[in-house]
Amino acid sequence: MAREATRRVVLAAAASLPLVATGCSKGIGGLATPPSPLPDVTILRDAIAGETLMISRYGAVMKAAPALAGSLRPLLDQHREHLARLRARLIEPHAGGQPEHSPSASASPPGARVPGTPAAARAYLRHAEQAAAQTLLAALTAAPPSLAQLLASIAASEASHALLLSPGRRDG
Amino acid sequence: MSASPTTAVRALQAALAAEHAAVYGYGVAGAHLAGARQRAAARDWTAHQAARDSLAAMITALRAQPVEAATAYRLPFPVRNGAAAVTLAAFLEDRVAAAYLGLVALGDPRLRAFGARAVRSAALRAVSWRDRSLAFPGLELPAPRPAPSAVGRASPSPPPAGTAAG
Repeated sequence: MAREATRRVVLAAAASLPLVATGCSKGIGGLATPPSPLPDVTILRDAIAGETLMISRYGAVMKAAPALAGSLRPLLDQHREHLARLRARLIEPHAGGQPEHSPSASASPPGARVPGTPAAARAYLRHAEQAAAQTLLAALTAAPPSLAQLLASIAASEASHALLLSPGRRDG
Repeated sequence: MSASPTTAVRALQAALAAEHAAVYGYGVAGAHLAGARQRAAARDWTAHQAARDSLAAMITALRAQPVEAATAYRLPFPVRNGAAAVTLAAFLEDRVAAAYLGLVALGDPRLRAFGARAVRSAALRAVSWRDRSLAFPGLELPAPRPAPSAVGRASPSPPPAGTAAG
């Protein structure tokens, strides 16, 4: 859709503004502070940060409890899909933005203690999924329509993960 | 932005149509299920009836006429056994989730939140049927894939047209 394409271009432009401003200030010096990002961009960046954190949590749990890796892998893969879809909205492919590093599932979540037992590890992820879904549901009211739909869909996916991680489910 | 009542009514009507189809479809699915599965189908059928009535009330409150259920729905594939019934239930929930995503695009924050909660509920019911999650409930609509035992022959799947999700 043309409208959607336009929105993405606008988002991409907004995302690159701070970089441009920084680049200019080197030569000119003393420029005003970079413009604050549009609300869309802030919502997207927060959602991207949330997905990145979830991916690192899964990585930490799978490292600590390798027996869970098989059952967690499909959920981790879906988080990677979420992240890719969110990132695709922020910066146009080939738009010359900074290269995106792919999130490492081996990076530890900051300040997190990964529980030792499989049951506790699943509970840890379940709570994280529930919280992530709630955060997205709260954020989507301020988002433009199509981003709100994506956030609602991802929130539903994360709530689904929480259900699959509940005690008594398979591998639970 | 879509703040006009007309747009809201259109999105609510689409959700209502999906709920009508789900009520019909769960009736079919339940007839082929037994035990815990049948109880689950009955529970979800009741949930969709309640959602249908809520939507109809919301539409009436906006001074519009709620859409009626169709007299008959074409199923996306033949449902002749429990496996196909389970696949149908998940299919119905995917369609319901997609319909409620239309509400999430509205300007009214209450309708948005209502729609987002309904997408989540549909996704959770779908998980309980297919035992796995989707990355993008409502946005991704997996092709209806009847269980192998429901097809039996090496014939291609029937065309997924005109579905039970209206």
